[in-house]
Amino acid sequence: MSEFKIAQREQESVHVLELKGYLDAHTAPTLEEAFQSLLKNQRFNIVVNCKDLSYISSAGLGVFMAYIEDVRKNKGDIKLSNMSPKVYNVFDLLGFPLLYEITRDEQEAVKKFSPAK
Amino acid sequence: MKLRRFLLLLIGLFLLLLKFAFDVIAMNVSLGPAGIGMFREALVAGAFFLLFRALHISLPQRTPHPVRRLGVLLIGAALLLASLALLNTLPADGFEAKDLVLRPKDYATLFLASIASVLAGGFAILNIRFLRDLVLQYRKKWTLRNFLVLVVLIIGTAASTLLVRPLDTSVLESILYGLAIAVSVVNAFRLPWIVYLTKREKMLTLAFSFLLFVLLTTTNVFLSQSTLFSRSVIYYSPSLQKFIALSLLFSNIYFGMAFVSTLFHLPTAEAFDRKRSEVSSIHTLSKLVTQVFDFHELMETVTSMTLQVCEARSCWIEIIPYAESEMDGDGHRRIAAAIQIAGLKNITAQEVEDLHAAGLRELRATVLADRRALVIDALTDDPRLGKQRLASGKIGSLVVVPLVSHVGPLGFLYATKSTEYGFVKDDIDVISTFADQATVAIENSRLIKKSIERERLVREMTLAQEMQKKLLPQVLPTHPHFELDAMSTPAFEVGGDYYDFVELSGNRLGIIVGDVSGKGVPAAFYMSEVKGIFQSLSSQHVSPREFMIQANAVLAGSIDKHSFVSLIYAILDVGSGRLTLARAGHCPMLYMGVSGASYVRPDGMGLGLGEGALFADAIEEYALQLHPGDVCLFYTDGITEAHRNGDEFGYERLLSIASETRGRPAADVKETVLRSVDTFIEHGAPHDDLTLVVLRWVGPAQRS
Repeated sequence: MSEFKIAQREQESVHVLELKGYLDAHTAPTLEEAFQSLLKNQRFNIVVNCKDLSYISSAGLGVFMAYIEDVRKNKGDIKLSNMSPKVYNVFDLLGFPLLYEITRDEQEAVKKFSPAK
Repeated sequence: MKLRRFLLLLIGLFLLLLKFAFDVIAMNVSLGPAGIGMFREALVAGAFFLLFRALHISLPQRTPHPVRRLGVLLIGAALLLASLALLNTLPADGFEAKDLVLRPKDYATLFLASIASVLAGGFAILNIRFLRDLVLQYRKKWTLRNFLVLVVLIIGTAASTLLVRPLDTSVLESILYGLAIAVSVVNAFRLPWIVYLTKREKMLTLAFSFLLFVLLTTTNVFLSQSTLFSRSVIYYSPSLQKFIALSLLFSNIYFGMAFVSTLFHLPTAEAFDRKRSEVSSIHTLSKLVTQVFDFHELMETVTSMTLQVCEARSCWIEIIPYAESEMDGDGHRRIAAAIQIAGLKNITAQEVEDLHAAGLRELRATVLADRRALVIDALTDDPRLGKQRLASGKIGSLVVVPLVSHVGPLGFLYATKSTEYGFVKDDIDVISTFADQATVAIENSRLIKKSIERERLVREMTLAQEMQKKLLPQVLPTHPHFELDAMSTPAFEVGGDYYDFVELSGNRLGIIVGDVSGKGVPAAFYMSEVKGIFQSLSSQHVSPREFMIQANAVLAGSIDKHSFVSLIYAILDVGSGRLTLARAGHCPMLYMGVSGASYVRPDGMGLGLGEGALFADAIEEYALQLHPGDVCLFYTDGITEAHRNGDEFGYERLLSIASETRGRPAADVKETVLRSVDTFIEHGAPHDDLTLVVLRWVGPAQRS
């Protein structure tokens, strides 16, 4: 129905996922596959840029929950950035800011990984 | 019927005895030849007519197989000829001829003559009766008429002998005799039954008709030459003699023709056999298309039919299970792994496995790509099957036909022959046509299975829907101090939305609205768990915040990493109108007071997202005092996230619509909100589960 795309790039040993479009029960598996392959390739410093994410459903939120534990066990993290107010509201309602670092822009999120290095 | 036959037989035999008695008297007393002769002939004619009737009604209505008729006639002819030969071994001629009339010299001769005549006559009527059946098979418009003309001519010729003395001949008789022969020839062309015989039956017919021709010719020679037999019959009844002679002559002509005709049909017999079995197989299979409820039975029929249509030695069928058969391209390897043998004939699964190991497996991809039959003419020499030595001898040649429906490949049909180069073009054509028919049957069988399965699921889901509806409150709590209204509808049959009420001690009312992440069946399971948790925890006098913390602890043990539950739980003090609530990640409560509408959003976190202190610290408890006319709206994101063409209903819209309902009853507020959501999504189906609970505080009655 609605499109969902992920662009990936590497920035200073941080892996950036750019989400675009609708993230719901139908498109969640795409994001899930992306996380799976990152974990397989030992990439644990992950920033998810939500600039072009227009909608996220509870199934989409579930994907973040499914991988955060493994990522943190490996001393990595999933940080989120560039959310539109509407998308941020969804995260915020559920209390995600208490669980994830959510920054205004991507660079800020990337920098937060640096002290650990 | 039995009695009638018995009577006919009895009277017939009595007439013959009477005739014999007259003959005995005639030996001693000289009777006027003309009148008495007529009387004797009448007795003979009557007797044989009755015997014919008896024979006619004892034969079955349905004509038996022509070859069996020929066989019976052959036995009859052989017995007759044997007894006549025996008669002819008697040394002397026991008759004396006087005035063109024969007279026996002694009783023995008279007796033997009678017996021989009755036997020959009996055979003649049997002969006519059987020939009638053969001639009338596959009859056409004039067939019966032609045959009746022949019978009339034969009887006419026989009757014409009455006009002259026994040993004399007349012109009339000769003319009739000639005509009878001509009509016999016409009737002898009635041989269509030969065409429909199998090759083996044609061989039998060839032999039988030849033997019959020889035996009957010999008998006829005995009858017409001046032998003891001939004289016996002429003495007994000249008309009977003519009758027998013509009947045998017709039989002769007929079987002569049959012999020649069969001879000409013999070379094409095999092709005819094959075509006929093809037609009957295809016919059976096309009937099978409607009888597809038992898959194994279908496989059984398809394999046995395959053996029949191309006279194969062995055959088997392999089926690709659904899921695999519907994919294409790089799915080939998975297809190979999933293929199952569904039916075998004259071959073991091990032998099939050996063939595949030798390289047959790899050829399947080619067959699927070409979508047509692949023939291996010489199995042991074929370079494609060189991977492993095959036990030679059993299989000489092999053919693989793909079973491909419009959905995709369904499987393969294999047939083998013991000889090399065993499959000719016709075989391939026939087996391919046959495979197409089988494909339709298999496809239908699968579709039926699928639709039965789907029907079952639909039934189950309807049942689940009924069950889930019962998990929601059936009756709303009522009290003079407040009004309540609520509704919930899942996007699919079942969903993860939940609302409930509980009457607590101290004149308090608990209101809960929740939403399990995701939709459908998995969400429905968690929803019922949440209900269990709510029912047990709420009664333990816990505050909304305490409730959330405990519920999170219970749920954490069972909930999947992907899933979480958002809840809002409010406790209303029915006496004072004080509302205490906690929010675990759920949509904020919409509060409409005197000063306007606003969202009440205490801090919180979804259940299942965090544990222990992290969760507990996140949950804030909030309290507010309701005033008469205040309305609280609890709902799920099915309302705020209702969308159409990328546009969302949203919090702003909900706020403004709700504001307009100020002062209206709870039911009215509910209807207004739902109607505006429905209008917004243009009366389409909601994408998410949707729940709405409206609480309107009335308060204690104002004292005047």
